[in-house]
Amino acid sequence: MQINFGGREIALKLVYYGPALSGKTTNLRSLHELTIDGSRGRLMTLETKDDRTLFFDMLPLAFRAEPDKSGHAGMTLRIKIFTVPGQVTHASTRRLVLQGADGVAFIADSQIGETEHNAASFLDLRQNLKELGVVLKDLPVVIQFNKRDLAKIRSEQEIETLARRGKEPVYSAVAVRGEGVLETFFGLLSIAWRRLDAQHHLADMLGIASGDLLPMAAKQLGLTVAVPTLLASSVGGSLERYSAAGP
Amino acid sequence: MGDQRDGRDAMMFDGVVRIEELVSREGLAELCKSFHTLFGIGVRLYSIEGGLLAAATSDQQLCAEIGKSKEGHRVCAATVAAVAARDPDATGELVCACFSGAVYTVACIDYDGRRVGRLILGPYVPVRTQEDFSRLSQTVPELEVEVARTLLAKIPHAKSDTIKRICAHLRSTLDLILFSGHRAHMASTMHLASVRESYRELADKNERLQEAFDRLKELDRLKSQFLATVSHELRTPLTSIIGYSEMLVEGLAGEMKPDQIEFAKTIHDKGEQLVRLITGLLDLGKLESGTMHVSIHDTRIEPILADVVSTMTPAALKKGVRLELRLDREEELPGLRADSERLRQVLVNLVDNAIKFTPSGGEVTLRADVASIDDAGSEVFQDGLSVLAPTQLPVEIRVADTGIGIPPAERKRVFDAFYQVDSSSTREHGGAGLGLAIVKRLVDAHAGSVRIEDGAHRGTVFVVSLPQGGPGLHE
Repeated sequence: MQINFGGREIALKLVYYGPALSGKTTNLRSLHELTIDGSRGRLMTLETKDDRTLFFDMLPLAFRAEPDKSGHAGMTLRIKIFTVPGQVTHASTRRLVLQGADGVAFIADSQIGETEHNAASFLDLRQNLKELGVVLKDLPVVIQFNKRDLAKIRSEQEIETLARRGKEPVYSAVAVRGEGVLETFFGLLSIAWRRLDAQHHLADMLGIASGDLLPMAAKQLGLTVAVPTLLASSVGGSLERYSAAGP
Repeated sequence: MGDQRDGRDAMMFDGVVRIEELVSREGLAELCKSFHTLFGIGVRLYSIEGGLLAAATSDQQLCAEIGKSKEGHRVCAATVAAVAARDPDATGELVCACFSGAVYTVACIDYDGRRVGRLILGPYVPVRTQEDFSRLSQTVPELEVEVARTLLAKIPHAKSDTIKRICAHLRSTLDLILFSGHRAHMASTMHLASVRESYRELADKNERLQEAFDRLKELDRLKSQFLATVSHELRTPLTSIIGYSEMLVEGLAGEMKPDQIEFAKTIHDKGEQLVRLITGLLDLGKLESGTMHVSIHDTRIEPILADVVSTMTPAALKKGVRLELRLDREEELPGLRADSERLRQVLVNLVDNAIKFTPSGGEVTLRADVASIDDAGSEVFQDGLSVLAPTQLPVEIRVADTGIGIPPAERKRVFDAFYQVDSSSTREHGGAGLGLAIVKRLVDAHAGSVRIEDGAHRGTVFVVSLPQGGPGLHE
C-alpha cells in the first residue's frame, strides 16, 4: 500500500496468483467486462503470441470518495490488480509482481488432474512471500476454484468440506462466463480493506465509514448486485477473521 | 505514509506518468501536425507543468494585423497567457474567447485517472455566432471593421459539436498512445527487474556452489594427506619386517632349519608385496590429486625399453614365459618429451601384468614404432581427421602377451582403480587392481593415451601412445 497525501491518493495492490492456465487473466478480462468505464481503466495485458502471460496483466481501478463537508476533494482509492505468469519458469517475475501485495486471490483449477499443480503453485506462493519477508498467514488471501463448468472436476461437496476446515474464504467460479469473478474480487477487497483499515485507519483518511467502501466501489463500478449478496457466496473461511489487526 | 518496503515501490507500478517520458516530442509534433492538416485548426500540447510539448499552428493574418498595434499586441499576449493558465474542471473541456472574436478550446489530458497535461485547439471561429467587433475595435481602433471581417473569415470556422468531436478524438488518440508507451515502459521495467532478480538468484547459487566446491577440495586435500600419512606409517614397520625377515633368511641370527627359512622367506615376500601395494596407493593418490611430480624432458624410448626388458626378464624366466623386445625399424625412433622414470614405471607395470596373466610357455613381446595413418586401430582416426591430425604421428609402444585375454566389454573398465576382470584372478595372480589405473593416469600426465588393441588373435595387446617430442611441444 502507498499513501500519497499530496495527491490525496491511497494505492492498493491485489495479486491474482495460481498455476499456469488456471484462468487468472480470464478473471481480469471478465472483471473488466462486468464493470463500467470511469472507475476502471484500460486492461493492460503483456502476453506472448500464444496468449500466455509474459510478465503480468494489470487492471487499474480508482474509487473517489465524496468531497468532505468543508468542500475538500475526496481522497481517491486506487487499486491495481495484477496477475502473475503461471508457468514454472517465470519464478523471478512472480516474486517481483508479488512485491508489496496487499492481498492475494489464489485462482485454482477445479479439474482433478490439476490438483497437484494447484498445490505446487500455492507452495510457490508461500515460498515467494517468505523470500519477500511476508508470512502467508498474515496476508489476506481468498481462494477461487475456477472452471466449475468442466467435466472431471473436484466435487462441490469436497470443496465445501475442505473450505470449512481451511482458513481462506473459497469461491466457485466459471471465469470465462463471468461467474464468481465479482464475488472473488469483492471477497478479496473486503478482507484486504478490513486488514488495512484496522492497521492504518484508511476509512478515516478517505473520509468514509469503514463499511461504506464496498458499496461505494460497487456503485462506481456500475454493479447492480448488492455487496452482501456477493460476499455471501463464499464457502468456509471467516471474513471476520481478517478484521483483526493482523501481525 | 512511508511504506516499509523501500526500493520495492517500483513494482507497485503506480508512479505518475509523464507524457514526455512515454512519447517523444517528435512523435507528439507529428500527431499535432496530422490533426492540423486534417482539420485546419491549430493544436498545442502542454505538459502537466505547463511546458509546451508540441504544436502545429498556422499564422493568421488577423493576428498579424493586431500584433502591429502596441495595445493589440499587449492584449493578445495577455489573452494567450490567460488561456494557457486556464485549467479545465472535472468535465475536461472549456472554451476561451479572444477579443478578436475567435475562440480557443482547452481540454485536459488525463491518464489512469490522473491529469497529465493539457491541449489547446484554436483559434477558430464558432459558426452561427453574431459577429461582434466592438471589443476588437476598442482594442485596435486603427483596424477597419471591413478588413477585420475579411481576415476573420480566413480563420477556420467550426461548429462547437465538431470541435468537441475533434477534441474527443485527439484525447482518445493520445490516451491510446500513452497507454502503449506506458505498457512498453512497464514491460521493460519488469524485464529489467526480472533479469536482475535472476542474476541475483544465480549469483547466490554460484556462491553456494563455490563454498561446496571449496569444502570438497579441502576434504580431498585432507584425504590425500591422510593417505600419505597412513602409507608412511605403514611403511616404517614394514621396512623392519622386511629387513629382519631378510636377516633371518640370511642366517644373521643363527642357523635355521629349512622350514623356518621357508617361513621367513614368506614373511619377506608378503612384506614386499605390501610395500608395492602401499606405493601403488600412494602413487594413485598423488596422481589423482595432481601432486605427483612428473618431470618432462627430452627422452629416447629405446634405452627405456631395454631397461624394462632386463628388469623383468628374471620374473619372466621364473614364470616360464619368453620376454622379447622387437624393434623392427631401421632408423631410430623419434624422441619423446617424457619423464623417463615414470615411463619406465608404466612399461614395467604393463609387462608385469602381461607376465602375470600369461601361462607358462607363453610369450610377452615389447615393440615400439611410429603410429601409421593407415592403422585402423589408432586413435588418430576421428571426425575431422584432416584438420585435427597432429603434424607428427605419435610413438606407439605395444605390450603383447599370449595370455587369457580381456573380453571386449571389460576393456574400458580395466583402467579403473581396484577393478578386476575376474575377482578370482586376484587370488590366483595377486595384485589389488591398481597397476593399470596408475598406468592410465601416468600416460595421461604425458598427454598420451593407453588402450587395448582390438582384433588380437589371442592374449592382450596394450598400446601406449605418446606424442613425439617436436620443438615447442609440451613447454
